[in-house]
Amino acid sequence: MERAGSLLRYCTTRLGLAPVMLWLIATLVFLLLRVAPGDPVDAVLGSRAPAAAKAAMRARLGLDQSLLDQYLDYLRGLVQGDLGQGLINQEPVNSIISRTLPASLELSIVALIVAAVVGLSIGFSGIARPEGKLDLAGRLYGLGTYALPPFWVAMLVQLLFAVSLGWLPVGGRFPPSLMPPQGSGFYLFDSLVALDWTSLRGTIRHLVLPAGTLAILLSGTFTTALRLNLRRTLRGDYVEAARSRGLSETQVVLRHGLPNALLPVLTIAGITVASLIGGALLIEVTFSWPGIALRLQEAINQRDYPVVQGIVVVIAALVVLVSVAVDLLAAALDPRIRY
Amino acid sequence: MASIGVGLLSLAQLGCQPISANKGRITVASAGKISSLDPAQASTVNTIQLLSALGDPLYSLDQRGELIPKLAAAPPIVSPDGLTVTIPLRRDVLFHDGTRFDAEAMAFSLRRFLEIGTLSYVVGGRISSVDVAAVDRLVLRLSRPSTSLEGLLTSVNLTPVSPTAYSQYRDGFLHNSFVGTGPYQLSDFNEHQQRLEPFEGYWGEPPANKGLDLITLSNSTALYGALRSGEVDVLLSPSIDEDQRHALHEKAQQGQLREAIGPATEIGYITLLSNVAPLNDARLRQALALSLNRQEISERVSYGLRRPLRSLVPPSLPGTHGSSWPAHDPKSARALLNDAGFCAGEPLRIPLTFRSNVPADKLLALTWQAQVKRDLKSCLVLELDGVESTTIYRQLGEGSFKAVMLDWRGSYPDPEAYLTPLLSCSSSRGDVCLEGEAAISGSFWTTKGLQKTLTRSDLLQGPERHRELQRLEEMTAAGAAYIPVWLEAPRAWSQPSLERPRFDGSGHLILSQLRTLP
Repeated sequence: MERAGSLLRYCTTRLGLAPVMLWLIATLVFLLLRVAPGDPVDAVLGSRAPAAAKAAMRARLGLDQSLLDQYLDYLRGLVQGDLGQGLINQEPVNSIISRTLPASLELSIVALIVAAVVGLSIGFSGIARPEGKLDLAGRLYGLGTYALPPFWVAMLVQLLFAVSLGWLPVGGRFPPSLMPPQGSGFYLFDSLVALDWTSLRGTIRHLVLPAGTLAILLSGTFTTALRLNLRRTLRGDYVEAARSRGLSETQVVLRHGLPNALLPVLTIAGITVASLIGGALLIEVTFSWPGIALRLQEAINQRDYPVVQGIVVVIAALVVLVSVAVDLLAAALDPRIRY
Repeated sequence: MASIGVGLLSLAQLGCQPISANKGRITVASAGKISSLDPAQASTVNTIQLLSALGDPLYSLDQRGELIPKLAAAPPIVSPDGLTVTIPLRRDVLFHDGTRFDAEAMAFSLRRFLEIGTLSYVVGGRISSVDVAAVDRLVLRLSRPSTSLEGLLTSVNLTPVSPTAYSQYRDGFLHNSFVGTGPYQLSDFNEHQQRLEPFEGYWGEPPANKGLDLITLSNSTALYGALRSGEVDVLLSPSIDEDQRHALHEKAQQGQLREAIGPATEIGYITLLSNVAPLNDARLRQALALSLNRQEISERVSYGLRRPLRSLVPPSLPGTHGSSWPAHDPKSARALLNDAGFCAGEPLRIPLTFRSNVPADKLLALTWQAQVKRDLKSCLVLELDGVESTTIYRQLGEGSFKAVMLDWRGSYPDPEAYLTPLLSCSSSRGDVCLEGEAAISGSFWTTKGLQKTLTRSDLLQGPERHRELQRLEEMTAAGAAYIPVWLEAPRAWSQPSLERPRFDGSGHLILSQLRTLP
């Protein structure tokens, strides 16, 4: 009962802090964009546009107001869930995000699943003989993939599998000759729901290289995390006690070692998926993946304030939400965690 | 190892069954997303290229540079005083929404452009009113006679749009749709992909293919790879790195690809800030111009695919001579620098800014820096500074860059479209331009009589105009606030299964003539 009460307090505190963090991030982004060189009106109209046209647009966009008024307008919209309109093509930012976020989420989730399966398998495989060949290979794999420059790996994979072998598409999210499946924006899901096998195959073909590359790069983290945690766990007193009770090594590892070693890995997975949403830029650029990170980069280049602000706030919200969820899950699963 | 092997086999299995495309459709790839389809706002090469397939201008240029009526029925009729231009229009043209194209529709589009066009400097205050004389007769009243007007009328920015479809957008942009008169109509649009279907009601020759899928890929390697792997049928050259451009050119020479080369209309040049020290001293600007070995740069950077350029106007345009700027002459450069007091002690240090996101610019900057180090050691030092292009364009008019590398492609094929955006000046003090295009372009340079010569050149015709243009170039070369470097021609490559692509005289790939070989 006391534990449930503490958990509730912990949840309330974490969730209560989330809006404060979001407000801080939103304010920081607002201010940073205003001090960055470049005029958004020039971005829309071009630097050679007549001064009168520039002034009219500045007024229409509210850029002629004081910084404080602009900030208050921005916060008001944010609270109402209105992220504004892009400056360049007046598309609502909500619509831009709803189009690009599923692409990034689909890529991140698939990459994370593959990374977890590959990384954990390799991390687990060396545990039978610590310091043996498999364990050493796992250690090298963990370090190697962690150290590889993402851009370089992506280019290499692209050149090998798409250009030289021609097995898979070079980039993009869907075959250009087909119409993408309609629905949630998650093409895998939408193709399955529509039982559209051509779309499904097209989606998978385009997903393999970017998701595979991302998975390779991430899997080393899982390998290293599991390997280290499992070794530490297997040296614990309670594991020794289990061994002394006559349990086989497999039973010891599966029943006592693995569940405890996986808890920190859960935290890593959560943080990874959250950071991937905005952090897969190099992969999105290399594979022309029309995700939110690529759109953010384009908006920064165009000084499209509302789009940059909207995307950063949404990414920050997701990062905050996922990390809170992971913390709460870990707290609920692990009785040793104090709050 | 076994699992990796199985994975690779599965990959091969998955890849060996490519998604079948609709037969007869052609996939065209290029770099750079399309943010807006509104011709009043279009400025990027990609957007202009797309609009050239979705709409028709009044006139176009053929490959010899001759004016060909498109939506116009005949060449423009200019009044003796040069102030009234009458354009006869075709009567058999439909917009994609089924409404009829006529003089009212053309007037609507021109007035709309004059009202909201972000490239209104293209028109430059020349058109004072647009009148409808008859259903098939449009009259333009000019504020001054303008020889370059014919070239202007070929501009894709003046492509007519349907007044019905744009009735809500008379004074605002319509970004994600386009209703024009071209051989294709838009069936699906997003920033990275556009689907075009042949327009059945098209007045001219119908497209030679069953539709187009235009895609944008975000980097040069992806574009190169997509063509090499057969994933796309046609690749357009903007944003292809020099190495890959050269490799594609070589493949085309070997018959593995087909290559088309358009008219060379894009100039690469360096702007020097002429209104503050040290480059307010014309001798130093001239020394910089003399220190540049264009031939070597062309060969080192672009394998000779970009041609050395010694004028601000592409030599293919009428009335240009092509070599007003001095050739590479390090001895004369040294003499000028010595004269200005820089070779004896401290060398002249010039920060050279290049667009960090344009690989060719960086290579050019490195090569020029090495040339200067080799030829003018102890006299001149170039200090390189890479800045992202958006920041450069925004800060150019603030005089932030002593020397900066840029490129320019005129909105229409006339010398005026190159000279006015760099030289025009509405207010000056001595040799410093305070307001006008020369200030916006970052040189802040003008000289006595330059603006008058520029205005006069647009009033004259034939050899007289050519002489005036030549004078303009010579004055600008002497001022040396701009250093032309190279000239680039648009290129396109297609798979051998397609006919060789073709460009029109304005440098647009003729998408409607892309065709799969039988």
